[in-house]
Amino acid sequence: MLDSGASRPAALRFALPCDLSHVRHASQAVHQFLVEQGCGEDILTACDLALVEACNNAIQYAPEPARTRSVVVEAIWQPDRLEIRVTDHTPGFDWPEKIDLPAPESESGRGLFLIQSLMDSAVYLRGPGENTLVLRKSLSDEGRKQGNQPRIENDQLISGLLDEITSCYESLSAIFRYSADPGHTRDLKKFAHRLLSDLAGVVSAEWFVFRKANAQSHIDVLTASESALDMGSIDFRGGNNDANFLEAQAAISRKIIWFDENSPVAAADPIRLKARARGLVYPVFVNDELLGTLAIGKNGKSASAGQPIFTNSQANAIGAFAQFLALQIINVRMQEAHTVNRISARELEIAGTIQRSLLLKELPSLPGFELAAFCRSADQVGGDFYDVLKLNDDTALFVIADVMGKGVLAAMFAAILRAVLRATPELNREPAALLARVNRLLFDELSGVDMFITAQLVFVDAKARKLIVGNAGHCPLLIADASGVKSLSPEGMPLGILPDTEFMSETVDLPEHCRVLLYTDGLTEATNAAGERFGQERLMEWLNHTRGPAGELQNNLNNRISEFQFRSGLNDDQTFLIITG
Amino acid sequence: MKIQSNGHTLRASGIAELSAANANSVRDETRQAFGQGHRNIEVDLSQTAAVDSCGLGALVALHKTAAAHGGVLRLINPTPPVQQILELTRMHRIFEVIKE
Repeated sequence: MLDSGASRPAALRFALPCDLSHVRHASQAVHQFLVEQGCGEDILTACDLALVEACNNAIQYAPEPARTRSVVVEAIWQPDRLEIRVTDHTPGFDWPEKIDLPAPESESGRGLFLIQSLMDSAVYLRGPGENTLVLRKSLSDEGRKQGNQPRIENDQLISGLLDEITSCYESLSAIFRYSADPGHTRDLKKFAHRLLSDLAGVVSAEWFVFRKANAQSHIDVLTASESALDMGSIDFRGGNNDANFLEAQAAISRKIIWFDENSPVAAADPIRLKARARGLVYPVFVNDELLGTLAIGKNGKSASAGQPIFTNSQANAIGAFAQFLALQIINVRMQEAHTVNRISARELEIAGTIQRSLLLKELPSLPGFELAAFCRSADQVGGDFYDVLKLNDDTALFVIADVMGKGVLAAMFAAILRAVLRATPELNREPAALLARVNRLLFDELSGVDMFITAQLVFVDAKARKLIVGNAGHCPLLIADASGVKSLSPEGMPLGILPDTEFMSETVDLPEHCRVLLYTDGLTEATNAAGERFGQERLMEWLNHTRGPAGELQNNLNNRISEFQFRSGLNDDQTFLIITG
Repeated sequence: MKIQSNGHTLRASGIAELSAANANSVRDETRQAFGQGHRNIEVDLSQTAAVDSCGLGALVALHKTAAAHGGVLRLINPTPPVQQILELTRMHRIFEVIKE
């Protein structure tokens, strides 16, 4: 049986200029429409105000370019409920989950609260370029003043709504189908082709070209409905004619470009390959970044003059598909970035292994002295390292160094330095000469990669109780005994700065109960919560006032530094060697 | 809109509606007229058919202006739809609402 018409909805639809002074007219028009349907007073008042608030938002938040576009207002009166839709062209916003009244002294923020309080439901549907606020109010018997017969009106609108629902459904189901296919982005080209072929079916298009943005200046074909359309690159930021092409115009203006067989199309525009083409170019932006352009259309003349190439809902579907494809492009990019991260994680792992292998598993022993060492990296791998070479029963060479830089390269230079020092036994008793030699050997390699090494070499003769120190731009050596603490810093440039440079050395006696500290600048540069550095003065003070065997001093200093930087955390490698005796 | 001065009090009346379209100008014109010696602001809402959230914002702003000078904002004879919105947003507790 055919519907009698008595339960069919009545509808009103009109465009409202994007200007606050027209809001009142819109509210009056809807008011009048609702009165004609027999709407009760209470609902009328509520709808008047909710509509005003919705229109205010749609107009106030429209960006300048969208101010030429109308706000669309629809009111649909059904037997059991009333629906008001306001479609805006603002960037849209996230509808809050919970809307509370703002503080009494706040001069704004009551609009959404009013809408929510006045209507039974408010749903904000966000889409590319436009958003629709759907307000609903159910109609009880009181809502209808009298058993008014809803009017039969505007069949065109209803068929439009049906059309929209159908195409939304098709788009959504197609997109869900792709989302459920987990491996789909492995081949982006194939995926894009499949997705856009489906889109062409949904919107009755005959051809498409998707171009992917490259370095924000080129758009290159990712996929096209036919190979003839696969026409190289468009350099839309170059000073050439490419900028006049339709796809370039869309990318530059960030607007949808519609065209038909009468539109002027540049002679070299790839879209000319489709004779008498008509359609649109949709620029795809995600978070303000151009991801690409989708050109899609039909061939030949339109069926009748004035009939749009695509209906609004078809254009919406095109936008939704293009945005979806853009998200997949981002997905692929993130997967690639993830792979790169995995590689650098692997690199760090290798570097870490090298660094650990350089550190002594056990410190050698030196008669009459105690030794302790500590090395802590800020990141996975640092450039700090220390070494102790036992030369004979009574002598040893202590090495502490900081390779500038991190990662595999720094770890490799540390390994090379260690090897070179160990391979030059004839100079191990002369730190200054040894540093000069090492500098000559490593200079080319270091300067070739803009790296350098600070290092300190300390030769200790336990029997003679004396020490010789040579320094290549490294922190001073600290020595404390009963008479106080002093720092030794013989001259010398870091390794890798100049090819031929001289190093000085200093020889001192080691008195009874002396304490010697070799360290890297991570120690003095440890920072507390107030931004203060630990500094050499504190370090000297600590050494002056702390007695005990090397192992105890190591724990003590470690605790002292950890305490100091408790709230700021480790920001550089920290390494030190302690000799007591 | 008409603005009259009466001793410590400034009264704005003849406002057909107080909405996004005119809220800022109602606020600014009233503030401009608010001079030395004025403490209170009265807004006559007896001819105001509608108020929206922007209109409420303007009233809050005028309330602050009066309070800053040791005075109050009084709303005079709001029409039923306006009264309804004041109650809905609990603003009737903030402002003095007077039925003359």
